[in-house]
Amino acid sequence: MLSLITFLPLIAAVLIALVPLKRGAAEALTLLATVAVGACTLFLWSGFDGAVAGLQEATKLDWFTLPMGANETLVSYHLGVDGISILLVVLTGILMPIVVLCARGHIDKRFREFFCWLLVMETGMLGVFLSMDLILFYFFWEVSLVPLYFLVGIWGGEDRLYATLKFFLYTVAGSLIMLVGVIALVYMTGTSDVPTLLRATGDLTTTQQHWVFATFAIAFAIKVPILPFHTWLADAHTQAPTSGSVLLAGVLLKMGTYGLLRFGIQLFPAAAVSFSPWFMALGAIGIVYGAFLAMAQNDLKRLVACSSVSHLGFVVLGLFALNQAGVRGGVLQMINHGLSTGLLFLLVGMIYERRHSRMLDDFGGVAATMPIFAIFFVFTVLSSAGMPGLNGFIGEYMILAGTFQADWLWAAIGVTGVIFGAVYLLMATRRLLFGPIVHEENKSLGDLKAREIGLLVPLVVLCVWIGVQPNFFLEKTAGTLDALDARIEAVKAASN
Amino acid sequence: MTTEQSLVELFDATFTPAANLAVMPILVLAGGILLYLLCDMVDSLRVVKPAAFCGTIVATFFAHVNLGWFAEEVPGTVLQGTFTADRETALWGCLFLLGTLFAWVYRVGYYKQNAPFQGEHDVLFLAACCGMHLMVGAEDLIPFFVGLELLSLPLYCLAAFRRARLDSVEAGLKYFLLGSFSSAMFLYGAGLLYTATGSLNVGVLIAHEPTTLSIVGGALVVASLLFKVSVFPFHLWVPDVYQGSPTPVTAFMATGTKAAAFAFLIRISGVLPETAIGVVAGIALVTLAVGNLAALGQANLKRMLAYSGVAHAGTLLFLVVAVRAGVTEGVAQEAALFYMLAYLVSAMGAFGILSLLEADGERYARIESIRGLGRSRPVLCLAFGLFMLSLGGIPATGGFLGKWFVFSTLVQADMVPLAICGALFSVIALAYYLRVIIAMFMEEAPAGPASTAMRTPAIVATAACALLVVLTGVLPGLWLDLL
Repeated sequence: MLSLITFLPLIAAVLIALVPLKRGAAEALTLLATVAVGACTLFLWSGFDGAVAGLQEATKLDWFTLPMGANETLVSYHLGVDGISILLVVLTGILMPIVVLCARGHIDKRFREFFCWLLVMETGMLGVFLSMDLILFYFFWEVSLVPLYFLVGIWGGEDRLYATLKFFLYTVAGSLIMLVGVIALVYMTGTSDVPTLLRATGDLTTTQQHWVFATFAIAFAIKVPILPFHTWLADAHTQAPTSGSVLLAGVLLKMGTYGLLRFGIQLFPAAAVSFSPWFMALGAIGIVYGAFLAMAQNDLKRLVACSSVSHLGFVVLGLFALNQAGVRGGVLQMINHGLSTGLLFLLVGMIYERRHSRMLDDFGGVAATMPIFAIFFVFTVLSSAGMPGLNGFIGEYMILAGTFQADWLWAAIGVTGVIFGAVYLLMATRRLLFGPIVHEENKSLGDLKAREIGLLVPLVVLCVWIGVQPNFFLEKTAGTLDALDARIEAVKAASN
Repeated sequence: MTTEQSLVELFDATFTPAANLAVMPILVLAGGILLYLLCDMVDSLRVVKPAAFCGTIVATFFAHVNLGWFAEEVPGTVLQGTFTADRETALWGCLFLLGTLFAWVYRVGYYKQNAPFQGEHDVLFLAACCGMHLMVGAEDLIPFFVGLELLSLPLYCLAAFRRARLDSVEAGLKYFLLGSFSSAMFLYGAGLLYTATGSLNVGVLIAHEPTTLSIVGGALVVASLLFKVSVFPFHLWVPDVYQGSPTPVTAFMATGTKAAAFAFLIRISGVLPETAIGVVAGIALVTLAVGNLAALGQANLKRMLAYSGVAHAGTLLFLVVAVRAGVTEGVAQEAALFYMLAYLVSAMGAFGILSLLEADGERYARIESIRGLGRSRPVLCLAFGLFMLSLGGIPATGGFLGKWFVFSTLVQADMVPLAICGALFSVIALAYYLRVIIAMFMEEAPAGPASTAMRTPAIVATAACALLVVLTGVLPGLWLDLL
C-alpha cells in the first residue's frame, strides 16, 4: 500500500517521459496518477487507528548491507506511517491534484517535462514522510530537491536561475552536514532502522546525542527555514511558478518541521530538552521578524513567503515547547500552514495571471471587479491570521498555550506575532482589494472561473473543518504523540 | 649444491601455482597486446582487431574472476613477497578493464585525422591498463615503478595523439616533462628508503622504525604519487593536459590513473610518520578548496571536469588520512574501490558525452555551447545531468554512496570535523555541476544548428555508464556483496 502510494507517481512520470503525449493527455495522466494517490492516502487515513503508537501498514524489505568498519549494517527498505506522518501524507495527497490542475493557468511551455518533475516531486515528498529507515529517508530527502530545482529553474520568474541555485545549495549544505550526522549515528548504533534507533539512542552519551542532534537540526532548520537560514525562501517562493510555490509552502517546508519532530525530538529527546530554549527563542524571533519582513513587502508573493517564515516560527515554537499542547499544536499548524499558505499562493497566482503583476501598488479596489476572488482572499487571510472558527486559530492557540507552560517569555513574544500577522495580512488585503480603483487595468479584471473556484473549495472546506472540529484530525495523532510525550517526560524527569 | 640446482629451486619456490594464478591476468593482458600487434601487422587480420581488443579485455576479466572468486585459495602475496593478488586487486583490475573498455569505445570514430595510427592507439591503451594492474598488485617499489612507467609512457603518447594540433602536443609535452620529474622523485625517494631500511618491500618499509632518511624518502615517494593522482600542489598539469588530450584519452587518464595510484597510495601511506596526519589532512582540504574554487571559474567543460577531478582526489586523500589515523587498510580500500567505481562511471560518462559532442572539434567543449541543448537532445542531456549529479554526490546515484563511504571512514577514524569540512566543500562542487544542468535545461539555445553528432558505440557506452551510475546508487548491494 505505502509502496504503491510512493512509487505510483514515479511510474507515471516515467511513462510520461517515455511516451510522446500531447499536452492534454500528459495532464490527464498526471491528474489520474495524483488523484489515485490522493484516494489511496484517504483510504490509508480511514484505515488508520489513531490510538496506536507504533507504525502501521509497515513494509520492510532488505535493501543492502553496508560495511561499517568491522560491523555491518543492514539497510532496509522500510516504509510505515504513524501519527506524526499521517496528516502530512494526506495533505500531500490532497494538494497534488490541485497543483496539477492549477498548472494550466501559468505553465506555457514544456508540459511533459513539467508534469514529470511534478510527479517525481510527489514520490520524493511521500518517500520522506513514509521512510522508516534513516538512510532511505536521506535518499528521498535529497532526491526531492532535484525536481523542485527544475520546476523553479525552468518555469520560474526572471531571476529563477539565481533563486533555484540558492535554494539548492542552501538545502544541500544542510543535508551534507546531516549526512555526517547520519553516518556517525549509524556507526555508533549499528542500525539505520528508525524503530530500532528509537530504542538505541538512549544508550549514547549526552555529548554524542547533542552532536548528532545538532547536525540534524541544522539541515532541518535550513529547510523549515528557521531564522538565520531563511533567506533562500523568499527568493525561491517569489521566482517559483504558482504550482511550485504551493508545493514548496504546502509540503516541502513541512519536511523540515517533520524532520525536527521525527529525527530531532523523537530520536533525541534529551538533546531536544537541552536545546529547546534556543529553538523557542529562534521560533519566537522568527515569528516577529517574519511578520515585520512581510509588512515591508510590496510584492504580494514575497509577502506570503515572509509570512511563511513567521508561521513556521509558530510551528517550531510549539514543537520545542515539548509538552502536550505545544507539540499537538505544532503538528496541526503544519497542516494549517499548508492549507492557508497554499490557498494564498493559489490566489496570488490567479490574480497574477490576469494582471501580470504582483506589486501591491498596482492594485486597489479589486474587490469591486472581482467579488468572488475577494471573498476567497479575505477568507484565506482570516484563516492565516488565526481567526477563531478557522484552522489557524486552533493551531496558534494550542502552540501558545503550550509555550506558555514552558516559558512565558517566548509565549508573550509569540502573541505579539499574532497581532503583527493580522496587521500585515489586513494591510495587504486593504491595498489589494479595497479603496478606489487607481489603475485603469484593474477595471477590466475578470472574476474567478468555475475551474478556479473548484481548486479553492476543497482547501477552504478543510480550513473550516479543522477550525470547527480539530479533534477529528488530532485523534489520529493521539497514540503516537502520547508516546512521544511520555518519552520527553521520562527524559525531563531523569534530568531533574 | 651447485648453482644450477639452487637456481632451479629458487625458480620453483618463486613460480608456485598460486603465483601463476596471481599473475595470470597480467599475462593474459600482455599476451593480448602481442596478439593485437600481430593483428595490426598482418593485413588479412586487420578486421579482427576489435575482436582481439575486446577478447583481451574479456579474457583478463575472467582471469580476475577466476583468481578472486573461484580459486580454491586466493593467492595473496606471492613472487617472494613482491606481488599481491586477492579479491581487492581483482576488483581493482575489473575497474581498470571497465575504464579501458569504455575509453576504447569512445575512441571509435572520434579521430578524424590520424586514423592510420589506430592500432598504436589501442595497443597503448592496453599497455597502460597492464601498467595499472602491476601498480595495484605491487608489494615492492620496483614492480610498482615498472607498472607506473608502463602506465605513464603510453599516456604521454596518447595525450599528444592528435599531433596536428598544438594543444594536444602541448598536453603531451607537459605531461611528459612533469611526469618524468615525478618519476625521478619516486626513484630518488625509493633510493633513500633503500639506504635507510635495506629493503624496498612495502611491508618492511612500513614496519621499519622511522628515521630522518626514511621519512624523507617516504615523503618523496608519496609526493610522486600525489602528482599522479593530481593533488595540490602537484595538480597544475591537470587542466592543461586534460584539455589538450583527445577526450577518450582524458577519460581514461582521469579515471584509470587515479584509481591505480590511489590503490597503492593507501597501501604505502604507512611509510609516513604518525605526525604527518595533519599535513596530509591539510593537503586534502587545500586540494578540495583549490579544485572546487578553480572549477567554479572554468568556462571550458574539460577544464572544469579536470578541476573537479582534482577535488575528487582531495576527497580520496581523506582515506589516506583515515588509514594513518587507525582505520584498517581493508576498510579504506573498500571505500576507495566504491568511490572510484562511482567516479569512474560518472566521469567516464561525462567525458564520453563531451567526446561525442565535440567530435574532434572544439565547439562543444565550452559551457556556452551546450546552452539549451536539453531541448534538442533531451536524452543525452539527461544522462549528462545524471553524471553531474553523481559527481556531486546526490543520492540515487553512485556518487552518493562513494561519498558516504569516504565520510564513514573518516567518522570511524574519529575525525568528524574533517568530514564536515569535506561535506561543505561538496556544496561548492555542486554549484558548478548544477551550472552545467542550468545551461542545458534552463537557458535558451543560441541561434544556429544544434549538435547532431551521433556515434552509436559512444551512445551505447554512455547509456551503459548511466545505467551503472543508477545501479550503483540504487542497488549498491550488487557491488558491495563482491567485497
